[in-house]
Amino acid sequence: MADTLAPVQPDSTWRRFFTQENVVTIVVGFIVAVAVILPLVVLLVSSFLVLDDMGFDSEWGFDNYVTLFTDRIIPKAMLNSLYVSSGTCLVSTVLGVSLAWINARTNSPGRDSIEPYNLIPFFLSPFVGAIAWHNLASPKVGLLNVWYRDLFGLDGEQYLLNVDTLWGVIWVTGIFFTPLVYLFVVGSLRRMDPSLEDSARTTGAGLLRTTLTITLPLVTPAILSGAIIVFVTSAGEFGVPFKLAAPYGWETLTTQIFTKAVGDDANHYMGATMSMVLGIITVLLIWVQRAYIAPRSYTTVTGKGFRPNVLDLGRWKWVAFGFNILYILVAVILPILCLAVVSLHPVWTAEIVPSDMSMNNYVKTLFWWEEDSIRAATDGIINSFILAFSGASIAMVLALVVSYMIHRTRGFGAKLLDFLCVIPIGFPGIVLAMGVLVTYIKTPIYATLWILLLGYITRFFPYGQRNIASIMLAISEELDQSSRMAGATWFTTLRRITIPLLKPGIFAGWVLLFVIFLRELSISIILYSTGTETLSVGVYYLANFENEALTSALSMTQTVVLLICIFIFRRVAGKEALTA
Amino acid sequence: MARAETKDEKYLVVDHLIKWFGSDRAVDDVSFSIEKGKFLTLLGPSGCGKTTTLMSIAGLHTIDSGEIRVGDVIYTSKEKKIFLAPEKRDIGMVFQSYAIWPHMTVAQNVAYPLEIRKIERVEIDERVDKVLALVGLTEMSDKLATQLSGGQQQRASLARAIVSNPLLLLFDEPLSNLDLKLREQMRVELKRIQNEVGITSIYVTHDQSEALVMSDEIIVMSKGQIEQRDIPLSVYSKPANGYVSQFIGVANLIEGTLAKKNKSGTGVADLNKTIKGLTCDCVLSSELESGDDVLVSIRPENISVSKKNTGGKGIKGKVDLAIFLGNCVDCRISSDGFEWKVLSHPRENLQQGDSVFLHLDPKHTLAVTP
Amino acid sequence: MTGKTTPMVNITGLEKRFGPEVAVHGVNLSVEKGEFVTLLGPSGCGKTTTLRCIAGLERLDAGEISIGEKIVVSAGKNIFLYPEQREIGMVFQSYAVWPHMTVFDNVAYGLRVRGFGSAELKKKTNYALELVGLDHLASRFATKLSGGQRQRVALARAICYEPNVILFDEPLSNLDAKLREQMRDEIVRLQKEVGITSIFVTHDQSEALVMSDRIVVMDKAVIQQIGDPKTIYANPANAFVANFIGVANLFEGNLSDRKGGNAAAKIDFGGALGVKELLANDVSNISSNSKIHLCIRPEDMELSTKKFTGELAKNSITGKVIETVYLGNFLECRVKIGNYEMIIQLDHFEQLKKDQSVNVSFKAAHGLLLSD
Repeated sequence: MADTLAPVQPDSTWRRFFTQENVVTIVVGFIVAVAVILPLVVLLVSSFLVLDDMGFDSEWGFDNYVTLFTDRIIPKAMLNSLYVSSGTCLVSTVLGVSLAWINARTNSPGRDSIEPYNLIPFFLSPFVGAIAWHNLASPKVGLLNVWYRDLFGLDGEQYLLNVDTLWGVIWVTGIFFTPLVYLFVVGSLRRMDPSLEDSARTTGAGLLRTTLTITLPLVTPAILSGAIIVFVTSAGEFGVPFKLAAPYGWETLTTQIFTKAVGDDANHYMGATMSMVLGIITVLLIWVQRAYIAPRSYTTVTGKGFRPNVLDLGRWKWVAFGFNILYILVAVILPILCLAVVSLHPVWTAEIVPSDMSMNNYVKTLFWWEEDSIRAATDGIINSFILAFSGASIAMVLALVVSYMIHRTRGFGAKLLDFLCVIPIGFPGIVLAMGVLVTYIKTPIYATLWILLLGYITRFFPYGQRNIASIMLAISEELDQSSRMAGATWFTTLRRITIPLLKPGIFAGWVLLFVIFLRELSISIILYSTGTETLSVGVYYLANFENEALTSALSMTQTVVLLICIFIFRRVAGKEALTA
Repeated sequence: MARAETKDEKYLVVDHLIKWFGSDRAVDDVSFSIEKGKFLTLLGPSGCGKTTTLMSIAGLHTIDSGEIRVGDVIYTSKEKKIFLAPEKRDIGMVFQSYAIWPHMTVAQNVAYPLEIRKIERVEIDERVDKVLALVGLTEMSDKLATQLSGGQQQRASLARAIVSNPLLLLFDEPLSNLDLKLREQMRVELKRIQNEVGITSIYVTHDQSEALVMSDEIIVMSKGQIEQRDIPLSVYSKPANGYVSQFIGVANLIEGTLAKKNKSGTGVADLNKTIKGLTCDCVLSSELESGDDVLVSIRPENISVSKKNTGGKGIKGKVDLAIFLGNCVDCRISSDGFEWKVLSHPRENLQQGDSVFLHLDPKHTLAVTP
Repeated sequence: MTGKTTPMVNITGLEKRFGPEVAVHGVNLSVEKGEFVTLLGPSGCGKTTTLRCIAGLERLDAGEISIGEKIVVSAGKNIFLYPEQREIGMVFQSYAVWPHMTVFDNVAYGLRVRGFGSAELKKKTNYALELVGLDHLASRFATKLSGGQRQRVALARAICYEPNVILFDEPLSNLDAKLREQMRDEIVRLQKEVGITSIFVTHDQSEALVMSDRIVVMDKAVIQQIGDPKTIYANPANAFVANFIGVANLFEGNLSDRKGGNAAAKIDFGGALGVKELLANDVSNISSNSKIHLCIRPEDMELSTKKFTGELAKNSITGKVIETVYLGNFLECRVKIGNYEMIIQLDHFEQLKKDQSVNVSFKAAHGLLLSD
């Protein structure tokens, strides 16, 4: 019986090189390299270009870097950024570690049903959170302050809370970035071999001692990794300081970059220089994380089914429970409720008037094309959906091929790509956006959706890549190899074995990117122009007009769409998708 | 299912294979060939080059020198600049991790190689049924791979490897993930199925008992080179050198010199430098000459031990340790500073501290090159 | 054992359920001071659960356990001591060596917890490290050690503070074959040297035979037999034990007759052979005409191409060779006898062909009768 495959012909050398595998990987590798490296190189080069006083000509020089320290505002902005990032880092780490410990290691009631809610802020827009918290706790019009005054019969100058400060920025960013620390630590706690703790107990150490000398040291690398990510991400955050600090006289690096990139005072080269500062700091920290902290991670997967030890807190379990509920209240429920209430009023006067409530604002933002400010909002919704859908799809195709190259091929190309994937994660969105702006400003894609798409994909495709890589690392390479041995070509193997096996990761990655793109602000705010506004830019427009009711309505629309996506994400990707 | 016969007795030929990993010669000029339908085992410790040799045959990596061919098909040849992609080599392979695709049923897994070869559906179904029956998985055909036990996954993996009736069957330590009782059962089974389908097989393992049970021939490798190639019985009873005798089974190895060489391939070894005053009659394994340094290798089960000195020239010793193993007792017996490993029958009832006499059997006392 | 001293570990009526599933049922066991006892059985037999109950890592549903003079857990008296209150040492399968500490700190941990002064702490830790041969690696981080070395650290950590008993949870099963044997011998040597009471859990019968003073064979949540290795091998209590420890040829039949100190067992081999009467060693606790298993070890079987004479002639049966497998130190021959397949161990190299007709037999004294 003849079962032979296609007639066996020895391949010549050059045909051997142009295999399906090599052609696809080389092409994709080249695209990724250009997309990531080019904007950063141009950004670096631009930071040495000095604009003359007329704003037309430029020459080489270090003047921009000198300006960083001699300017009236920039030095203060840099200090403010440092202050905000450190504060945020502290808030998120304390909250994230406590919540992770409560959920992974104690018998606090209702953990299984509460846990998913801890992650919701991760998917929502911090900018929208700032808008909501402004309505809750701004000194004059904040609902909480109004109620406080009503309750104690105080005059209009007194208030309980004030989020329109750097402290407010730290508070809002802190509660929204808590899930980043939480995810690192909870995963590490769950993966930890329980016999590491059991052996301390059998050796004679009590519970407290075991927790302090064994458990905590073992998750320290995870805590530090989470803290660094929060520091870096909050340094690059634009929406929250823009809403809560800049209007009240506290500039940060990101709000300054924004003023230099757009508006009357625009000086792209100065914006590039400030972006370089932010970029260098974040790259340094990410490098520290990768080189010194990640390798010390002790809690590697051992592949055994663990029954993690649960600590009996006694009556204190209700304190733990209350703490967790409180977090969900301030990070999820209060902001969303506040947005909902404000959005239902025709005009927001810091007073709830049930008889005035209607859905008019929603109708306006969705269907009122006439007014300019509202047209931006309506356009924004459509543009964001187009960008999110196409961006997530393209990014996942790239992510798939790149993951394959990194984890299934060996050699120089794989290492280079792995490195290229770390860079965009390190760079804050606003920095990368500045790079993209200065690179493509003179090309036809400027002022189109394409430049936004390019910025989105470059910045965020590594997120999708990580989703795929985690599954790819878990499935043995022999699964691919045995398909080749069965006679299938590289492409057939990819289509029939590799992709079906990666399907959950691909889909989870797609939804994650869809969510990120739908709420994206830092890149959009630099790269949009008239007609290419996005959903978050629409919110920014409305917020600029100080129409709180309309702003809240659009924010609510965005939040509801995001919540639906989270629901789908969990249904499809499963409970463990994020926490595992 | 027989293929057109090739006249050439040498079916698979590996010719002067060299493979470098960085500055390491993982496979160092290895040549061997096997006849059609035979079962050859590459045996050695990890890092000896056995898996690299197998991967070179499979085409899962390139080679640095030499040639590999099966029948008249050249798989790879450095000199002729030929490299056949793995999927064109028509090989069935069974991996250590089973590598059963979890998103397919058992039947779909097994049908895959036939689908790739564009065989008609009716014939595919028929052949899948036949092969599943052969490996005893008929009942399981609609189960997902994840619902199978380790042993069943390995059977499915074997079915997938043989269903297309490939030129060669390669095994990469397929049993090492299974637990002991199952492993013993599966090796008998694997051998039975290979016998039945008659596909030429190369089997890689570090487990000597697996190699002894399953193989037609064994190649013992170390540091990228072949130490010995022989049938199982000879590898065990006539190891080529100290390394092989140590690696396959347990041996008492005693350094000495060859005092006398007889024509019949026997001789007398002087073991004075290890054990005072001891000489013994022995069989000579290779080209040894009088006066050469030798290693005398004696298997623990070939030493008889008794409490009385029955046959004159017994070696006096004391039992240091007697470990009961069920069907035998593993004894350590010290004599003039040398510790003998001896297997005795449980009914001998040796206890720690007993004085005993050891008797060597010249037929099973082997002198090898050190 | 009827020692007058109080046992070091005493378990009575231990019962443990996971949901509806009974994991351990009615386990009674006492371990003397300095004794090495192995819990042996297939996975899921309840051996690890029993061990974790002793350690206090698992609560129990009924029964009582005492270690030394203390009751450490009692369902009836509502006592439960935490693991750290039980004065035990434990060695885990996954080594559980703490990666953020040096070897020295790992081993010294138990002493630090007990508040030892630095001079004595150093002395005791170094002594324990010497015992396991790791004194030269004391300042090394645990992540830089091999599997075998990690298990030595775990061992030193467990013996360092001289607990009442050391519990071993399959400590060798993550090691490869050669290393496993080496560590096995080392643990036995150490245990004899330190004289510490040990309870060892394994599924590997050869480990159990080599290491133990006594073996507790478990299956399906209950104890099947307790005894020293030789007794368990030579006189298994039932077919499960016979099969699990070593290799056994088992035949079902009836005890038909008793003559001359031997029992006659009627075995239905099926096929052309039909029912045959075989002589076996008589056991008084089995009554005539009851169902039995006849068990013969492969090394007690004789095989010949000629007719047997003398005692062996009485039990001679004819069969066909299925295959012979060369196992290095002996030849294993499978012979088809009626519907049964027999394994026979030969220590001489006989040339046997497939389907060759052979006679097999065994001495009556080597035929064990096991009650059904």
